[in-house]
Amino acid sequence: MRPKDILRLSRWPAVLALVTLVSASAFLWNGCHRRDDDKIRITIWHQDRIDVRLILQRQLDRFMALHPEVRVEQLFKETEELRSGFIIAALAGQGPEIVYGPSDQVGPFEVMDIILPLEGLFEKEWLEQFDEKGRIWYKGHLYQLADKLGNHLTLLYNKKLVPVPPTTDEELVAVARRLTTDLNGDGKTDRYGLAWNYTEPFFFIPFMTGFGGWIMDDQGNPTLDNPGTVGGLNFIKQLRDVHKVIPNEADYVVADILFKDGHAGMIINGDWSWAGYQNAGLDIGVAPLPRITATGLWCAPMVSPKGFSINVNVSEEKRPWVIALIRFLMAEENQLESAKELFTMPTHKAVQSGEFVQTNEILRNSRLQIEHGRPMPVVPELRAIWDAMRPSYQAVLAGTMKADQAARNMQLMALRRIKDMNE
Amino acid sequence: MTLSNKARRRLMIFVMVAPAFVVLFGVVVYPFFYNVVLSLSNMSLLHIRDWKIIGFDQYVKVFTEPSQPDFYLVFVKTIIWTVVNVVFHVTIGVFLALVLNQKDIRGKGLFRAILVLPWAVPQLIVALTWRGMFNYEYGAINLMLTQWLGVEGVQWLRQPLEAFLAVIITNVWLGFPFMMIIALGALQSIPHDLYEAADIDGASWFHKLRHITVPLIRPVMIPAITLGTIWTFNNLNIVWLVSNAGEPGDQTHLLVSFVYKAAFNFYRYGYGAALSMIIFFILLAFSLTFMRRSNVTQNVYS
Repeated sequence: MRPKDILRLSRWPAVLALVTLVSASAFLWNGCHRRDDDKIRITIWHQDRIDVRLILQRQLDRFMALHPEVRVEQLFKETEELRSGFIIAALAGQGPEIVYGPSDQVGPFEVMDIILPLEGLFEKEWLEQFDEKGRIWYKGHLYQLADKLGNHLTLLYNKKLVPVPPTTDEELVAVARRLTTDLNGDGKTDRYGLAWNYTEPFFFIPFMTGFGGWIMDDQGNPTLDNPGTVGGLNFIKQLRDVHKVIPNEADYVVADILFKDGHAGMIINGDWSWAGYQNAGLDIGVAPLPRITATGLWCAPMVSPKGFSINVNVSEEKRPWVIALIRFLMAEENQLESAKELFTMPTHKAVQSGEFVQTNEILRNSRLQIEHGRPMPVVPELRAIWDAMRPSYQAVLAGTMKADQAARNMQLMALRRIKDMNE
Repeated sequence: MTLSNKARRRLMIFVMVAPAFVVLFGVVVYPFFYNVVLSLSNMSLLHIRDWKIIGFDQYVKVFTEPSQPDFYLVFVKTIIWTVVNVVFHVTIGVFLALVLNQKDIRGKGLFRAILVLPWAVPQLIVALTWRGMFNYEYGAINLMLTQWLGVEGVQWLRQPLEAFLAVIITNVWLGFPFMMIIALGALQSIPHDLYEAADIDGASWFHKLRHITVPLIRPVMIPAITLGTIWTFNNLNIVWLVSNAGEPGDQTHLLVSFVYKAAFNFYRYGYGAALSMIIFFILLAFSLTFMRRSNVTQNVYS
């Protein structure tokens, strides 16, 4: 074969390669700029579980029926992925139009300037339809509109085992002791009085507050070295080691299974879990966490609204539809629908004062718990607080550190972490 | 205008290489150099839009800043984690491959499928299942220890050493099938004539292993070990999920989970990028040294 022939032959791979390259480019271009129709596309990122997603989809479908020119897509992301993914996307000028989640994401998003102030986008009268706790202001601007209040911990009890829930720490111990039993006589505890994810600092907060402590002052400075931290730590340790009414080791999954299977009479869990327990066939009651007798204070969980924020990159042209969607999802009938199916506390004042919320036992007690609770701070420093609490808290549970030393360590670590974050 | 033959040939080469180059540039080259730039910057929560180059300050911080847990302690733990895991992966993997490579084993395909299962199950499920198995009261491990062996249950997830052991056990279980498959492939490529010749010469099983099997699977195993080392060193999933993000008390961190925390929990992007560059250089130095010392690029038959 002459070189000329080889060259002639070699044109075919070149042509093929060119065709492949052009096709791949066209495919990529199409993927990046997909326009399967001429509709306005709005995407919502959230971290809600499947039952919430189904309700959201129903509501989105209704919105799209009302606005055929708009196509709305919801996209689930894990909490951390939602936060970091939104930061990366928004900084690059991309990302979903709406990000939905707990209020503590407002702080970092505001500092990074990736969400829009909302006070100029919605009328004052319309905003005032909603509970003040559901309107998240930070540094003088409204950054989130919540449709659900809570994300709060409460005491859940199995009504078959606990006819009347405890209202004080002493009653809690007494009821838990009665419930904690070796049913088959093999020397091992088969049913505990109480179970919860007690190794996580978020689940420790009610006991810290019950003993008079709190995590930070109004300026966002940590206040972890306080008697409440010490009292709360000692109380939990006593529940496990002295009264022996909680499992030796329990994370969220273990506690959840124990309660579902009747191996724990009570559990401390959030409003997100109630519907799941009811669907599992449990006859559950919801009660506020008990009052600590020594201080006279209620155990106060953190209360955090969940709501909508708008990506700073949303164009002026698209904004009216994004605003219309948020208005729709915040509407009375949609909040009532969620409340009825999920037992979440609505932010719409009309729904809050409506018959269902006022008469439903779970929501009545949920409301009581919210009133006892403390708003979760929205400052970015909250991250540092959680991280600073975890090692010393777990060291106390492991028996390698005293509670007062742990409180001191938490404070020092929190200060260092905040300094690192604000470098 | 017509192109010369040489120019045509060059154009064709360019066209053939261009798609791969574009993809590689987008997913490897650009992110790598962007990370280098970030590692020299002060990008953080407060300087995410107005970040600037500050030189090697972040690298200095990695080595000198007091941290909880201590950077050097985490580094030592990462080395121990990597060495122990890779040693077990290779030993168990090669042993099982040798067993499966025997002629007179029935149901070889079934055994192979069962042994590959750990590798086939998603890591998330493996990690969470093992976490459940390590529970003090209800976990399968302690139930077996107490009921079958009559020994006291171990507080796997509450004590630092035990928690570290727990994540190692999980990762050993997860990692050996890869080495087994690689070793099995290498064993099957060894000409049988060599073993027959050795048999005629009266070589023992051990001699055949030492002088035929090991040298001939080495060119395949060395890159696999190098890859295994890099994967294990950078394995965030198992440690993060089994120990529930470093429990107890941040005692089960590896360098890579340190990076994750710095960058995604505390928004310290510059610091996290510097730390990830240090990890990169550690692994680069290891890979180059290991490949050179093990003469992996030499022809095995020479």
